Order: sequence, then structure tokens, then C-alpha cells
Amino acid sequence: MTALASTGVVSDSIGSATMLISNYVFPNDLHVHWSLMIVLYPYITGLVDGAFIIAALYYLFDVKSLKPVARFSLLFALAFLCCATLPLLLHLGRPERNLNMLLTPSPSSAMAGFGYIYAVSMGVLVAILLFVYRPVLVELRASSKGWLQIFYRIITFDSIDLSEDALKLDGKIIRFLVAIGIPIAAVLHGYVGFIFGGVKANPTWSTPLMPVIFLFSACVSGISAIILAYILIRKVKSRPIDNGCIATMIKTLTGFFILAFSFEMLEVFSHSYLKTGYHHMVEGLLNGPLASSFWFWQVKIGSVLPLLILGIMGIIKLRPYLYNFLAAGVSGILLVQVLIMRWNVVIGGQLMSKSARGYTEFHPLWFDKEGIIAVIIVMALPFVILFVLGKIVPFWAEDNEV
Amino acid sequence: MGLSYRMRLISICIGIFVMVGVGFLFKSLLLPNSFGVYGPYRADAIKEAAQVPIRHGTNDSCFKCHPFEARIQKAGLHKTISCEFCHGTYADHVTEGKKTGILPVKTGKEITTLCLRCHNTEIKARSEKVIKTVALPNHLKDQQVKLTHTCNQCHHVHAPLKYINRAKQITGLMEKGI
Amino acid sequence: MKIKDPSPDMKKRSFLKNVLNGTIAGSLYLVYPMGGNAFETPEQIPGIRNHAYDIHAQEFAFIVDITRCIGCGSCCVADKQEYNVSDGNYRTWVERYVKGFSDQIYVDCPNGGLDGYQTPRNDIAEEIRDTFFVPKLCNMCKEAPCVQVCPVGATFTTPDGFVLVDEKRCVGCAYCIQACPYSVRFINPATHVVEKCTWCYHRIRKGLLPACVDVCPTGARKFGSLKDENSEVYKILKGPGVLTVLKREMGTWPALYYKGARREVV
Repeated sequence: MTALASTGVVSDSIGSATMLISNYVFPNDLHVHWSLMIVLYPYITGLVDGAFIIAALYYLFDVKSLKPVARFSLLFALAFLCCATLPLLLHLGRPERNLNMLLTPSPSSAMAGFGYIYAVSMGVLVAILLFVYRPVLVELRASSKGWLQIFYRIITFDSIDLSEDALKLDGKIIRFLVAIGIPIAAVLHGYVGFIFGGVKANPTWSTPLMPVIFLFSACVSGISAIILAYILIRKVKSRPIDNGCIATMIKTLTGFFILAFSFEMLEVFSHSYLKTGYHHMVEGLLNGPLASSFWFWQVKIGSVLPLLILGIMGIIKLRPYLYNFLAAGVSGILLVQVLIMRWNVVIGGQLMSKSARGYTEFHPLWFDKEGIIAVIIVMALPFVILFVLGKIVPFWAEDNEV
Repeated sequence: MGLSYRMRLISICIGIFVMVGVGFLFKSLLLPNSFGVYGPYRADAIKEAAQVPIRHGTNDSCFKCHPFEARIQKAGLHKTISCEFCHGTYADHVTEGKKTGILPVKTGKEITTLCLRCHNTEIKARSEKVIKTVALPNHLKDQQVKLTHTCNQCHHVHAPLKYINRAKQITGLMEKGI
Repeated sequence: MKIKDPSPDMKKRSFLKNVLNGTIAGSLYLVYPMGGNAFETPEQIPGIRNHAYDIHAQEFAFIVDITRCIGCGSCCVADKQEYNVSDGNYRTWVERYVKGFSDQIYVDCPNGGLDGYQTPRNDIAEEIRDTFFVPKLCNMCKEAPCVQVCPVGATFTTPDGFVLVDEKRCVGCAYCIQACPYSVRFINPATHVVEKCTWCYHRIRKGLLPACVDVCPTGARKFGSLKDENSEVYKILKGPGVLTVLKREMGTWPALYYKGARREVV
């Protein structure tokens, strides 16, 4: 056999007119330009989106059982949204020019809206939090001095009015802000999906399903993160866990996950059924370079297993301890699943050369601007922010009510 | 002081709108010169692209100072070959009309390698209508020369058949069509 | 009734336009520093030098004749020399296609064709039916995906039909690299901004052919103005010969045409 055959030549199955994947990669395609940081960016905005959904369910749709985590999910969303631009800045070749995005956004580019969408979502989220935490902030203002007091005066809108009328108004404003926050959050993340979905040159990316898949998987990762964080923090602090709240979140998670997984599989199914132009590349990708990270890790371990667990949790009545244990476990798996899914989309898509004849390779570096260490630092930062915020304002509803 | 909470919020909203307005004002002030003349980009960038320094001067620029080589090259089959492909660019050799650098001249085996970039039959992709190709070492054997011969020992690199045609003329082989 | 005046904004815009056109046309009469009296070299594209360059009235085409390409790599060398292209990146390159009797295609392109093709492929088990070379460069799409996706307007289509990069605005996000179906773009490792083939816009504006066209020994690369009825590209495009473009299904409408490209060429 030839040397080529031994390096894993794959051919599609259209009879004799097969298109041989002879491992030819265009010379400029050897390098993967969108690496770990672009895997991380949609992951972080996804966490923001999912956490925001939990808050929205409570503040807008009056799902009362979510009260314990509603405020926390907003803080969680803020902590991650603060760091969402970091991976992008680390990725840019000329990060000092980032304001060009705001100064000269090209009307034809999907990416150009980023600066504006990000600014608006940040503004809305901060505003929601200021109104949600206003009673707490007013108290803090009273007990602080100097510059800190001026700061608190500003963020409480220089008002210590906590009358019933004022709080009622706050409630209305929060509902309004959350209502506009939902489409903004959906746009913030959906458009990330569209950035990929709009690349016609890449056969695995260019599907209108891409924003939908991104949105649902975002909800999955965000809700999972809130479940896991809630259970872990409460356990560490030896405080009781609200079982009703966990159950509601798990049910919501199940719904979103079924949708996310269905759409992910629908995309693969459509590709293999339609067998359009570059289908052989997609098929070769999923069964070649991505065979283990897609089929084994994303689908079998990351999706089928959680679906089984979620099914058991939904059908069988489990003891609260076991239920919470499984909830934490399944959330952990799903958090990793969504990260793997982002990897498979972002990195996987770029492994296909546009020559339609071969795949390149990608090995992440440890010490690089976009390396593994940088990823760990970027992912750790939101938790530092969350820790600091937790020192200032209470996370959970009942802590404050005592 | 006298403002109610409600009024404060309204004034904050107005403040936000003013800030957005100021933001857009800054955006328009910071817009680069010539942006948007032809479309959403800097029109001056076209001018800059047109002013990138030229490095290849074309064969005619070489021939100005090298008339001897010019006469040979223009008369031979290699007249379509760029001087700068083998020797390097004009910009590396001449700056503001003065010679500022020495360009390399290929020698020995390098020449054979260079010739075979185009003339190698083995590649099997070269139409006879476009180029005459040879296979080494068969060509050397056929011509009954040493296998260590480099191409330029028989062929003038700037006009490959110059010596060969001359030799044929002298020996009278040309007339016989051999 | 009085005819309505154009809005002050429109006036400003058209004024700017005139000024800019003027400067561009005017700049033609300047002698560009190019090391010596480069402009004593004959003009290669007629009608550019000593003419006002109306940027809106130009149309150029690039034709690659695959049947004439011998894979010598002169164009690749010239391109690297003209722009000092960093190693491992290619503004243009030449691919070798080998077609077996089973209709399988084997493609390779060692070092972008910079070193030429010195040896035949000997790693193919089946009998070879045909071998041919395919030079690649920027397709100068009329519906350029790279221009569409650039978030900051750093990649744009000029009124004379060139897709260029504004290296002073580019943020290096690499979205255009993802969007280009032909993979002609790369990030310059020194400047961290995107770079690609410009068809030697700087040479064209001075009446010289693109470097790769100038050095091509067999005339496999042809460039010219479609406004000039005597140009070779005009005659080819006017004639009955079959020309194709790469990845037509992408809807990019390239201004780069291929003559004699077989269907397997991607």
C-alpha cells in the first residue's frame, strides 16, 4: 500500500466516483487560526446566557422555586460577562486596535456588532443587578465612609428610598430590564453561533442551525453551572440545599438539553443524509480526527449518559441526597460536554482544509498567549470576581432574609 | 434633595441617553480620514497599497546596464525567463540608480537543479508544446558526455542553444538537419 | 420654484470624493521611488502611465492557463521576493495534481512550490493517467466573503475591483481567513495583521504586470485590462474558449479565471 493509505485515507461511498481524501492541505491551512481562546469565548458567553435564563425564569416568569439562586445567577452572569472579552483580546493579532470594532463597524459583517451587543448586554445586566441589590446597597452605603460611600451613593442612584412604593417600582423596572435582557442575551450568544454558521467556506459551520445549537447548549452549560455552583457552595458552607429549587433547575436543564442534543444530532444527520458537495469532508472529520472527541466524549459520555441520568431523575422518585448528588454529577458532565462541543465545532471545523482533500492537526500549547495556562487563568478570573462580589453582597436569597 | 426616587430614575435614563449620544459623537470624531469615501473603509488605504515599493524591475531594467547579456538572452529560447528569478530582485541590486548590492550567480550543481525545475521529463506534466524536457542521466548518456557534466557545460544558460547551434553550423550538421 | 439644493452632507461627501479622486489621479504623475529610473522600463499594461487613473472606470482580469504551467515555481519565488513573504505562508503557490486511472486525485504542494518540483511522486500505487500544475492566488472575488465578514472595514473591494487589506486598521481577528474559500489569506507573523495576494496592485498602478505574471516563462499567468481591446485577457474572455472559476458554488464570482482546469481542481 502507499504511504498515503497508511496515513488514513478516507473516501466517501458514492460508488466509483469517490473523492479521495489524500491528505492534501492548502499551504495556508496548516495553521489553525482560531484556537483555544475562540473555544473559550462562546463557552463563557454561553455560561452567561444560561445563568441569565435562570434569573429570567424567576424575575420575569415568576418561577418562585428558583428564588434561592435567582440573584446568584445574575452575579454569576456578571462575573463571566466581565471576562468575556478577555479571550477575544488575547486572540486578536492587534488587541490594541480593539476599539476599531466600535469606531468602524462594517455594516456587512456579523462580527462587527460585537462591541455594541456586548456593551448593551453589560449595561442591562449591571442595571438589573443594581436594582435587585438596591436594598443591600443602601444598607452598605449607610455603613461606609469616604470614597466608598460616594461610590455607593452613585450606584444606589443617590437614593435611600426603600419605601414599599419605591421597591414596587424597582420590581417593575427589574421585570422590564429582564424582559429586554432575554433577547439581548439570546442575540449575544446566538450571533456567536451565527459567526460560525455564516462561514460558507466551511462545510461543518455553514448551517442555519448553528446559532440555535449554540443557544441551547449555552442554556445547558449556564444552568448546569448554577446547579453545580449552588450545590458545591452550600455543601462547603454546610448550609441546607433547597430541593425544590434543584428539581426545577434540573427539569429546565432536561428540557434545554433535549433540545440542544436533538439539534446537534439533527445537524449531523442532515449532513450525512443530504450528502452535499463537501459532505465527504464532514464525514471524514467526524469519523477521523474527531472520532473520539465527538462520538465518544461529546455524544456518548457527554450526551447519552446525562440523558439517561436525567431520565432516571425525572421518572424515579429518588431520595433528596441522591437526587442532589446526581444533579451535581450530571451538571458537571454537561459543563464538560458543552466545552467539548465548542472544541469540536471551533477547532474541528478548522481541521478541514479548504482543499476538501485533507485535515490539518492542532495541538494546544501550554505557554502561549492562547495556550492552556492562559485558558485556566481566564476561566479562574470570573471565580475571583465572584468571590469578591460574594464578600460584598449576599449570594442567596435566604441569607439576607434571616 | 427634593427629587423623588422616581424622578431620579428618569434623570438617570436621560443621563444614559446623553452618554450614548456623546459616545456616538466621539465615534464620528475618531473616524479615520478618508473613511467612507468609496465604502465602509479607508480610501487612503488604496493609495497606500499603490505605493508599496516595487522590488522586481522587469528584464528591461536589467538590460539597461547589461547590454551584452541582453543581446544574448533576447536572441535565445530563454528570452521569456525573468533575470530576477535566478539572480534576485532589482531592488536588492540597485537603489536610486546606483549599484548597492551584488546578486548571486548560480554555479555548478545549482545550475543543473535550476534547469531541472522546468526541463525535467520525469515530472510528466510538461507539454511538449510548451517546453522541451530531458531526463537525466539519459540525456547525458545520449549526448555521450560525462555523467558529472552540469547543464551549462554545453548550454549557455541565457540562450541554451547558442553554442549548440553554432557548433552545428561549424560542423555543417545544421544543413543536414541532424 | 427653485431646485432643491443637495443636503450639506451630500455636498461634503461629493467634495471629499472629488478631492480624493483628484489626489489619486494626481499621484500618478509623481515618480515613485523604486530604486533608479524604473519608469524608463517600458509600460507593460498600456494606458496606465501618464493617464489620469479613473478608479471607477477600470476592470482587470487574471487568467491562469493550466495547460501551459510547467510547475517551475518562478511565480512563487518572485512573489516571495517582491513582498518578503514570511516562511510557511504563501500569497501564491503552485499545486501538483496527479490523476490515477481510477480517477483518484493526489495533490501535493511542498513548500508552496517555492523549490519547484524536482522529483515525480513515487508514493502512488496506481498507474498515473495525468499530471498537471495549478497555480493559486487571490481570486479577487466580486462578491468577496472576506470583505463581507471583516468587522472593521480593513478588507475592502476597491472601485477598480481589487480586494485589498488596510494593514493600519486590521485587528488580526482572522475571520476573513475563515471566510476565504480559497485559503489565500494568512496572518503576517511580524505585523500580526492579515496579508494576502494583491495582484501586485502597486505594480499595476504604475503600468507594470504583477510580479508573478512578469516572471512566468510560459505565459501560464496572464493579466490585463478588460477595458483594453488589445489585451490578451480581453481577447481570451471575448473568445469561445472555456474558462472556469474555482468553487463556483460558493457564489464568490472571482475575477481570476482558469483555462484548462479540470473538474477535480478545487
